[in-house]
Amino acid sequence: MTGRNRWLGGFAVLIYGFLFAPIAVLIVFSFNDSKRNFVWKGFTLDWYPTVFGNEDLIGALFVTLRVAAVAVAVATVLGTLLGLALARRRFRGRAATETLLLVPMVTPEIVMGLSLLIFFFQLFDARGSFAQLALAHATFCISYVAIVVRARAAGMDPRLEEAARDLGASALGAFRYVTLPLILPAIVSGALLAFALSFDDYVVSTFNAGVGSSTLPLYIYGKIKFGVTPEINAISTIIVAVTAVVILAAWRIGDRRERSEPRSGR
Amino acid sequence: MTHRHDGSSIDLERELVRYMVQQRLTRRELLERIGKVGAAVALAPVIAACTVGGASSAPSVPASSGASPGTASNAPEPSAAAQTPVPEPEAELFVYNWTGYIAEDTIPSFEAKYGVKVTYDFFANTDEAYAKLGDDGGGYDLSFPISVDIPALIAKGALLPLDMSLLPNIANLGAEWADPAYDPGNANSVPYMWWTTGVGYDSARITDPLTSSKALWDPRFDGHISMLDDWAEAFGMALIQLGFSANTANTAELDEALALLQLQKPLVRVYSTDTVGTMSSGDVWIGQIWGADTFAIQEENENVAFYLPEEGAIRGSDTMAIFSGAKHPIAAHLFIDHMLDAQVSAANTNYVYYMGPNAAAREFIDPAILDDPNTNPDQAIIAKLEELLDLGQAVRDEYLTRWQTLRGG
Amino acid sequence: MAADVRVTSATPPGIGAAGAPPGTGAAGAPPGTGAPLGERLTSAFLVVPGVAWLIVFFVLPLALIFLVSLGSTDALDRVVFDRLSLDNYVRAFDPAFLPTFLNSLRYATATTVLSLAIGYPIAYWISRYGGRHKALLLILVMLPFWTSYLIRTYAWMIILRDNGVANALLQAVGLTNEPIILLNTDFSVILGMTYGFLPFAILPLFVTIDRLDPALVAAARDLYASGRQAFLHVTIPLTMPGIVAATILTFIPAIGDFVTPDLLGGAETTTIAKVVQEVFLEGRDWPYGAALGFVLMLITLGGTIIALRPLRQEVVGG
Repeated sequence: MTGRNRWLGGFAVLIYGFLFAPIAVLIVFSFNDSKRNFVWKGFTLDWYPTVFGNEDLIGALFVTLRVAAVAVAVATVLGTLLGLALARRRFRGRAATETLLLVPMVTPEIVMGLSLLIFFFQLFDARGSFAQLALAHATFCISYVAIVVRARAAGMDPRLEEAARDLGASALGAFRYVTLPLILPAIVSGALLAFALSFDDYVVSTFNAGVGSSTLPLYIYGKIKFGVTPEINAISTIIVAVTAVVILAAWRIGDRRERSEPRSGR
Repeated sequence: MTHRHDGSSIDLERELVRYMVQQRLTRRELLERIGKVGAAVALAPVIAACTVGGASSAPSVPASSGASPGTASNAPEPSAAAQTPVPEPEAELFVYNWTGYIAEDTIPSFEAKYGVKVTYDFFANTDEAYAKLGDDGGGYDLSFPISVDIPALIAKGALLPLDMSLLPNIANLGAEWADPAYDPGNANSVPYMWWTTGVGYDSARITDPLTSSKALWDPRFDGHISMLDDWAEAFGMALIQLGFSANTANTAELDEALALLQLQKPLVRVYSTDTVGTMSSGDVWIGQIWGADTFAIQEENENVAFYLPEEGAIRGSDTMAIFSGAKHPIAAHLFIDHMLDAQVSAANTNYVYYMGPNAAAREFIDPAILDDPNTNPDQAIIAKLEELLDLGQAVRDEYLTRWQTLRGG
Repeated sequence: MAADVRVTSATPPGIGAAGAPPGTGAAGAPPGTGAPLGERLTSAFLVVPGVAWLIVFFVLPLALIFLVSLGSTDALDRVVFDRLSLDNYVRAFDPAFLPTFLNSLRYATATTVLSLAIGYPIAYWISRYGGRHKALLLILVMLPFWTSYLIRTYAWMIILRDNGVANALLQAVGLTNEPIILLNTDFSVILGMTYGFLPFAILPLFVTIDRLDPALVAAARDLYASGRQAFLHVTIPLTMPGIVAATILTFIPAIGDFVTPDLLGGAETTTIAKVVQEVFLEGRDWPYGAALGFVLMLITLGGTIIALRPLRQEVVGG
């Protein structure tokens, strides 16, 4: 048992290292004294204060976060409902619904981006806006949440819910106290994936952002021609650092809680 | 505007006042400027405004008079704007450009000068921008299309013809930019920056004296060659090397160019427009690059040198243009005028390292850039360069299908 | 025998059980017919919002683009509908595209296989040994993706380039004397893509592995199954929904990924997605691009459905 643990644990460390290798490089290069940031030229802290003074950058970051918040919220709700239905219920048009979920994922981003551009322009005379962005992002995220939730909910023993009903719980209550906790990891995972998708989206955003609602990727990609300055590394480092601190805090809280709680059986 | 026919002194004085108010010049500043660049240059915009309008069809200023843009009229047509010395700019301006293609102070100084709030959005390549701008600007007032796209944009009615009365600084343009082939008389656009395409190489690794674009086909550099990920540029270089025009429509010539490029492909490390990245990383030793990028690359790798192939090379430029759907046309005009200001233009060049077409700006440009023959080649060389033209969809398809055949795995 | 019964009855219905449809209140009632109103309403409540949203904001726009694909362009590259036809679709089946399509297929397949091979053990490890910190470990997996995609990719370029970290390490360890070309190759493309899609494999795998009752594996071991047999015949089938989900969430987007091959790839790594992009943007031929896009979508969708069909019976109970 411990033998397997060690190999697996070592592998886990290796893979986490793989995941964070470019992040380490990214952080190091946030201190690079070079406008173009390809070659290491020297150490400087100057890019960090620049970040805070860069209104365009900060503005773009906040637009991205707000769009992601809305898109993830909508996609998580709709996707979870769909995932549950597909996993455990029979209904007419079920195969069609499954296929419908796959189609956004096979659609090339340029097709999706331009189709929404045309759609909003022809029907609403809209040329892009925050709302349009959020709607677009939510649309391509739904499938991901649904598929993840379905994977978890499929094979969830329906008798658990039945048992709760037998014991007098309402449908909603059974859902809330039995099903929901069981699929919660999938909902959270789906939300995490949706957030990553929205945060980094470029093509769909290009064609659906309105005047003044540039997202962070739009800002960053726009810089390619004349140099993606280390400011971008700096702001990413800040984001990573803040999140890491929160994770660390949560970890410590978790540890402390575990120590103080009486050991319950698995 | 068409009411100025006769160069009378009353008109001259009115123009002078208008000019000073627009430029926010005090009398003292105007005299200083005359002292610096000479009366002719300093007062050129004023004098230009006083002479007969001539070739430029009378574009009327929209928004203030509500007249529709672009109607060429023969009869003098005083508009509401003509009566007031400086039309009031709108409160906002929406600009669409690359990030960082403008000096850091240019927009703040514009905002301070006119009290206009500028929203500046970013694109990463001109084709994306072209799709987004659509037929009327896609919500933006002003953008920076490349010159090749201008004829099509004009034909589509996407651009707002320019009101020269709001662009006194246009006189700052060098004579060679006053009447470009893609937009006669700069009626719909104003040149912004220009550049050449040639060969950049790491002189520490490649010590031969290089003069030809054939160096990019040299098997000694296998795996360390780069070409621009741009069908017009790649084919342009091949066509020129074969002795043809870079804008040819002759499919036999295109086939030869394709064959030449296919010969090269096994040696090519990457097709990329991120030339600063590829050449400074050291992976690429020799590549097709834009001349003006040399300056930036040299900041990362000082050994990089640039030359224009002896066979010939391409020159390109981009422009500032106001779109027909612009909601803030006056502010847009004033922005262009601001960009044409000698010092602002020089600041932009000093920041971006690309040469502008602004003759008056030369005295403010960083000498290092002015003296750099890659960014600022002399007239004799420029005359030999070929400008990329709008080929039209049918011919462009011929290039593109061959480009896709080339790039196909 | 008794053990058999135990394992079967503990198998969550829906996996390999073609019997009673899960979730319906009326046990034993024939599926689909006469389902009680309450059940139908619940299903509707679950399904309609998402489907309605997708129809409005996805299907309708796509229908517009489909219309575009039937049109053509005028001299100014504007879409015109004077002659609706399927010409663009005929053009789209140009054999010249085959190499690029195969490139995309190759990369997507390699990425998916690697993501699953790496993702499964990681998901397993988090589930088994994560304890209280499982959620945090998962968030840690996602954390690199809250930086910009572009600079992450630039970071890989810095690592993989000829004078980069990787080559420096290889030379320091003595495996090579000269820098080997790592960047702008198939290797760098697959590496970059796998990196980008790994979380999309880990998370769905985790949610099913985490649900796996270790008692089942223990039971198999008790019955003298080797570790390997237990894994192959108990663990894998029970986590199949997750494997299917992970495959879908990596393979399908990977076929459409053109940025990673573009940035990390070289002269030979052009993908079909990039071609579609080019037709739209450089070619300014939206009708043709749309047709090409639809053809690509049909092939990918068709392929996925066909590939998943045998698995589907097991997963969703018919």
